[in-house]
Formats: sequence, structure tokens, C-alpha cells
Amino acid sequence: MPVRGVVSLGSGTEAVTRRGQASRIRDIGALERVGLVVLLLLLSTSLVAPWFVVDPVIPVAPPFQAPSLQHVLGTDDVGQDVFSRVIFGLRTSWLSAAAVIASAIVIGGAIGLVAGARGGWVDALLMRLTDTFLALPGPVLAIAVAATLGASLRNTVIGIAVVWWPWYARLVRGEVRALAARPHVDAARLSGVSAPRLVLRHLLPGALPPVIVTASLDIQILVLTLAGLSFIGLGAPPPAPELGAMAARGADYLFASPWIPLAPGCAVFILAVAANLAGDGVRDLFDRS
Amino acid sequence: MLRFLAVRALGALGVLVALVTAVFVLQTAVPGDPVRASVGLNASDEVVAQERERLGLDKPLPTQYVGYLGQAVQGSFGESLRTGRDVRDDIGAFLPATIELAGFSILLAGAGGLLIGILAVVSSRFAAPARVLFVGGASVPSFLLALILIYVFYFKLSWLPLSGRTNLDSAPEGPTGLLLVDSLLHVRLDVFVDALRHLILPATALALVPAVAIGRVLRSSLIEVYRADYIRTLHAKGLTPRAVLWKHALRNALSAPLTMAGLQLGLLLGGVVIVEAIFAWPGIGLYLNQSIQFGDLRAIAGVTLVVGAGYVFVNTLVDLAQAAADPRIRL
Repeated sequence: MPVRGVVSLGSGTEAVTRRGQASRIRDIGALERVGLVVLLLLLSTSLVAPWFVVDPVIPVAPPFQAPSLQHVLGTDDVGQDVFSRVIFGLRTSWLSAAAVIASAIVIGGAIGLVAGARGGWVDALLMRLTDTFLALPGPVLAIAVAATLGASLRNTVIGIAVVWWPWYARLVRGEVRALAARPHVDAARLSGVSAPRLVLRHLLPGALPPVIVTASLDIQILVLTLAGLSFIGLGAPPPAPELGAMAARGADYLFASPWIPLAPGCAVFILAVAANLAGDGVRDLFDRS
Repeated sequence: MLRFLAVRALGALGVLVALVTAVFVLQTAVPGDPVRASVGLNASDEVVAQERERLGLDKPLPTQYVGYLGQAVQGSFGESLRTGRDVRDDIGAFLPATIELAGFSILLAGAGGLLIGILAVVSSRFAAPARVLFVGGASVPSFLLALILIYVFYFKLSWLPLSGRTNLDSAPEGPTGLLLVDSLLHVRLDVFVDALRHLILPATALALVPAVAIGRVLRSSLIEVYRADYIRTLHAKGLTPRAVLWKHALRNALSAPLTMAGLQLGLLLGGVVIVEAIFAWPGIGLYLNQSIQFGDLRAIAGVTLVVGAGYVFVNTLVDLAQAAADPRIRL
């Protein structure tokens, strides 16, 4: 899990005014394009496949069957189909990551927007709060929140979202501050645009490109973080198909039936690599420098 | 410098108070009744009330908060609902193993990151493998790496032990609790080697991701430094590339990777919970894991406070070290 830095794309305004020419698929490198395609494939198959694969939570065959044509990734200790569980797990994995990102953008975005647009003591107070969160070890705090609220997928998402929003608050606040000093905002203000409209129409859109880039780079880290928390029992209770929990329970059978813990682990790895490359691709798309 | 020191220390103190507050709020916001859960669901109301009074949970929240803050300052986090001991004593028993593991891992990550970062810049042959490592290495979940390492180096090759800190019963205890250090102090080379062999797999599982992150940052800051005029001057006056790298470029490129190492420590401490569980490493990660299974909120809170404080402390030190090394870094 790489530590997340604040993405800088130059000034946000340029990204907006040049959006027409900036979004070219040609700007994306070959490897990144592969990543995007693989990611989209993973996302779409994991959405559609549940209708085609066998039920992931009932025994469908004898336990501990090695991978075969019938069960591509074998069966686990109770005879559930590992491939089917991995597919369902992938879906849970990226949907949860999306949920964390969405809540982080909403909370962090709102705080950053208010801080950046209002300035003064509101800004100082909100940013002090944000910095305090950033100074704490995120994963440990997320574990504490999720564990205290009680093990469930929802609480794990809440726990991670609690430590994730500050990045977006900083990002949006910085962009908004930079934009607020630009002439087009002065012009809008002088022509009598109301404050909410000024914020929503003239400041917010400029902050969007870096938020999109950060969000796409975040998917990888979130997929890994969620899998880690699920591994230590912070997630949906068994037999729900979650990649981390599957690997944790399967670890007991590592020597005799290695596919049981390794298949879900490798699924996390592939999803994370694809998300990493795709994130780089999205950055290339917006980054003109 | 003194002003910088004072402001940074004050900032760290503020963060710590915020941490204690957050942990306290978290414990009171929890759904359900932890006291009833601990004495048993069949206990009578009087028993629950007595237990509540004994634990001080019947007082108004502000009073509880002040009490908790005061306790935390003295390093006490209340009684564990699972072990019945003060959480502080539990943590004290488990902490040295984690310090040894996390410390060894971050050193390993630093060395690995240094190697990767330098190779990626100076060797053209290493550019492609470095790229793969930067993308792939950062995407390996620590539990997958741990399981693969165990499968290969314990199960297939039988080179390294599976779990725990040592197989030797006669391992010296104290004074530091770090087996590597204690064995040297007692001049027990057999214990030292055994402890080292036990450390390698879990530390590697923890170190890969931070090593890649540090290597990545070092690579970009080295490239930046190599663009500077003074590097060209050094080359022009006839210094060997090796001297330019080790005597001049590397030193100026180390600031960002050092910051990264400090930040990575936070992630590493999260990974400790996973890796310690896999390797049955008797540290606070394992303790936290057991506390989570049991729903022992005070233990969870205590571990969070200790780990959080350690993290803030280390990162403040990193800041100060950088300010000392680079006079441009001031408030």
C-alpha cells in the first residue's frame, strides 16, 4: 500500500478549460490501457457472473477438491466452489472500495469546499481538524473504529471512510483556494452571482479533475486495505464470500490444499494491479504536463 | 531550531490529545452494553450495576472523559474485559515482540527501498524490472505474501521456521525484551541466530510494500537531484559517477524517502496485525486480533493509543531529523 500523496495537476482551471483536448485515450500508455481494460473486465464480470456461477455459500461438491475443469479453482473445506466465491468476493471488494471513496469524497469534499470558500477561522479550524486526522496512523484507527462498532462489512467501510476523508478535504480545499483567486471567480462575484451558485458552478467543477484522479488511484489501496481488515475478521461473518476472510479461513489448509487460501489472495493482487495501472491511466488522461 | 522544536512538540501533543478523545468517543458510541456482555447475558441487573460502578461507567460522560484522559496520561487504559488485567500490563508483555518485528521490517524496507531506488536510476537494465516491482510490489496483500513465503521457505524448502519468535526454551528474558539484543547481551549466539531465522519471513512479508514505496520516492527525488547544475559541475570536474552518487546526490535526495519511511510505519503497524496472526508472533498485533475476536473494547482502545502514540512520536522525530539536516526546513 503506497502512501497517498496529494495529486497536483497544476491549477485546476486549466484542466477545466482545456478539458476538450485533454481527454484523449492516446495520452494513456499501453500498460495503463491494459490495466483499464482488465479493471473494467473484472468489474463487469463480477457484476454479471453471479447469475452464471454456482451458489458461493452452499456445498456443491466434496471438500478439498483440487482445481479441475468442473471447479476451476477447486473446492474449499466445506465443499463450496472457490471460483464462485472469488467472483462474489471481487464484487464485494470493489463495491466496498467504491463506497469508501464515495463517502470520503462527500465528507472530505464538503469540508474542503467550506474551508476553501469561507477562508478565515473556519478554514483554520477545519484544516487543523483534518491535519490531526492525517497525523494519526490510518489503518490502525480504521481497525479500532471497525472493531469497536462490531464486525460487519458496513462497519469496516465506515472505519476506513473515517480515516480516508481528510485527504479529499485537503485536496478540494487547496484547489478551491487556488480557484478563488482567479479572475473568472471575481467576475462572477461582481456580476452578482449568489454565494451557493458561485461555489457550486464556479469553484466545485475546477476541483473535480484532481479528485477523480485521486479517487482512481485510491481504488488499489482500498482494495488492499479492505482485504486486510477482512482477513483479521473485520467484515461480513462467514460464510459470506469475502476475499480476505476466505484467505484467513483457508490458511489452515495451506499445505494440503494451497488453492483455498491462495486463490482469493491472488484475486486481490490482480484487482489491485489492474486498479493501480488504471489509476495511472486516468492520471495521464488529465495530466497535460 | 528551538522554536521549531517547541512548535512540533506542541503539535504532537495536540494530536495525542485528539487521539485519546477519539478513542474515548468511540468507546462510548458503541452500540450495545459492553458491561452486560462481559458479565454474561444471564447476570442479574444488580450484578451489572455493580460491575458498572466498579468500572466507573455509571458516572456522567464528561467525568468519565476527564478520568480517561488522566488515566491515559499515566499510561493506564483500564482493565481488560478478556484477561482481567490492566490493559497496560498486557500491552507491556506483548509490545517488545512487535517493536522487534516492526523495527526490523522498517530497516529491511529502508535498505530494500534504497537498493531499488538507486538501481532504478543508475542501471538501465534494471529500469524494466523496477517498473514491474513498482506496480506489482505495491499490490501484493501482505497476507498473500506471508502465505507464499511460508509455503515456499517452510513447507517446500524447510529453510526457515513457521511461527513464533524462537524454538529455544532457554532464551534469555530481558533486559530489553528484544530477542536479538538480549541474546547478544547474554552472549548467546545460538539464540541470536534462531531469533533472526524466525524474524526473516514475517519481516519480509511486512517490508515489501514499504520498500517499494520508499524506492519509488527515492527514484523520483534522485532523478530530480541529478538534473541540478551542481551535479553537472561535479561530473565536469571529473568525479566518478560513484562518488557523485554516494557523496552528493544521495544525500540530497534522502529527505522525501525519509518522510515516506515515517508514513509507511503507519501502514506497517496496520499490517502487523495481519502478519503476527499468520506467524503466531506474540506481539500487540496478535493481542489486538484476539481482542477483536472477543470484543474487548478497552484492549482495542489501549492498543490504538499505544500504537498511535508511537507513530506520532516517530514521525515527529523524522521531522526534527530533517529540520536538523536541512536548514531550509523551518516553520
